[in-house]
Amino acid sequence: MKQLIRLAVVIVAVSAILLVTISRLNASQGYSGGNTLTVYNWGDYIDPEVIDDFEKETGITVVYETFDSNEAMMTKIQQGGTSYDVAVPSEYTIEKMKEEDLLLPIDHSKIPNLKNIDPRFMDLTFDPGNEYSVPYFWGTVGIVYNTKQIEGIDFNSWEDLWDPALKNKIVLIDGAREIMGMGLNSLHYSLNDTDPEHLQEAYDKLVSLKPNVRALLGDENKLLMASGEVSIGITWSGDASEIMAENEDLDYVVPEEGSNLWFDNMVIPKTAKNIDAAHEFINFMLDPKIAAQNTEYVSYSTPNKEALQYMPEEMVNDERFYPPTELTDRLEVYENLGKENLAKYNELFLKFKME
Amino acid sequence: MDKRISPLSRIFLIIMFALLYLPIFYLIFYSFNSGGNMYDFENFTFDWYKELFQDTRLLIIVLNTIVIALLSALISTIIGVLGAIMIYKIRSSRTKYTLLSLNNILIVSPDVIIGASFLILFTIAGIQLGFYSVLLSHIAFSIPIVVLMVLPKLSEMSPSLLDAARDLGASRWEVITKVVIPYITPGIFAGFFMALTYSLDDFAVTFFVTGNGFTTLSVEIYSLARQGISLSINALSAIIFLVTMLIVVIYYFITRRGKRSPDLEVLK
Repeated sequence: MKQLIRLAVVIVAVSAILLVTISRLNASQGYSGGNTLTVYNWGDYIDPEVIDDFEKETGITVVYETFDSNEAMMTKIQQGGTSYDVAVPSEYTIEKMKEEDLLLPIDHSKIPNLKNIDPRFMDLTFDPGNEYSVPYFWGTVGIVYNTKQIEGIDFNSWEDLWDPALKNKIVLIDGAREIMGMGLNSLHYSLNDTDPEHLQEAYDKLVSLKPNVRALLGDENKLLMASGEVSIGITWSGDASEIMAENEDLDYVVPEEGSNLWFDNMVIPKTAKNIDAAHEFINFMLDPKIAAQNTEYVSYSTPNKEALQYMPEEMVNDERFYPPTELTDRLEVYENLGKENLAKYNELFLKFKME
Repeated sequence: MDKRISPLSRIFLIIMFALLYLPIFYLIFYSFNSGGNMYDFENFTFDWYKELFQDTRLLIIVLNTIVIALLSALISTIIGVLGAIMIYKIRSSRTKYTLLSLNNILIVSPDVIIGASFLILFTIAGIQLGFYSVLLSHIAFSIPIVVLMVLPKLSEMSPSLLDAARDLGASRWEVITKVVIPYITPGIFAGFFMALTYSLDDFAVTFFVTGNGFTTLSVEIYSLARQGISLSINALSAIIFLVTMLIVVIYYFITRRGKRSPDLEVLK
């Protein structure tokens, strides 16, 4: 008994010491000050130095939290209990959040740097007039392939994936919208098509791709592609640029039939407590130099036109990640299809997975 | 001892241990890779360890995780032991089994559901998500485990031991502190360590109840998945693995010394 009590006391003492250490560390980071801003972003999706600069310049301390999926983030915000001031969801989630009344409108007069954003990334269908969101990063969906292992095919068309020579070589991302979209695009239909016949056609087309498909994976496909284990992958441009930095043999193509154009955007959730600081932060992130620095760190494509001049040329001139307007005009942003149509997409995708 | 293990079972044992430990060693091996990825070993480097110790945010998260694990394990052990003794003392077998089943339901119910329920509870109660919400939910899901670890020890205990103590004039308090608790101490330790490990690696429940700048390691690592996990996480895993090893070894020697001591032999 005495021994147990002694042990309990030791544990309490150790915990107390640790708690003091934590609060000291927090204080050294400036987390304990009154003027704080809570940012909710994807993991490792910002250059830590940018946060430091923001803190130094404004005196606002930033509490940075991370999430791994739009759905998880939305649940947290919906339930309340936290006070995130800035969050970074993808476009289709912004539509949902708008419907659920989870966002605060953005005061454009407080964000003069908004003028730096390329006009083609403003005023998109998911948020007309950018009333609630400001673009953060953008990209496409396309094909990554290993130029050493695949010869004679340049994947300018989705059709190339159906080449019988590619038996068991393709890894797809495990996303209903992405894969069904690929099927629709390969038939020259819109990504947002809801015609049941077209969807059925896309499904049949996908089923005929099955012999070439090795697996449907989430984040693991990055590792498999980078290590050369898999030679072809369908994935987002952000992921592609990341693995291409690791493996020089890889190349990325957006097929000419069209594909998806995606956005991650900064928004201010309803739960925000420090709305002024949130605007200040968003404005700061749109500063050309800051955006350039952040883009170099994250390596996704920036919608900030002015930032391009501060970035290394080989990055900006890379048409795979900064495609010319002719191509982006052909790309489509996911629209909110409504529950029923989304269920149809999911059902067909599930059937395809089980085939 | 060795002679009793057949070659076949020895091979099986070796394979099992290899399966369990190889991934860990693989992880540790690449924490020294200057290449920055997990498949192409370039040069030996300590850079990831340096990066780890310079990352104050990550260090705070690690310390958070440890504090939550220690405190929640301690509190849930105290509550769980009291609960187990209560259940043990209940005469009516019907009530006893009902309570036990309720306890088991909490163990087998999926973490996601427990986490979501806690999130709803905390938001309704108006509790801010952060340190206390995580601590409370960890205590809550650890208690049933402790109860389950302690109960077998209690039922193993011979009732005549208690009768003898009472016959010798022990008060109720003395029976509990001088007879029952020392007897079930191994169960208490087992419960404590189970609660500790459950708290350390729980993701699903913790994910729902973290917030306002407070987060734990499992949640943080999970959210790194989209951008690829840096090798400094490997370095961190290596350190955690070594520390755990060290604690297990120390614990082993303490219990071995304890076994040799004569008074404990008598107790057995």
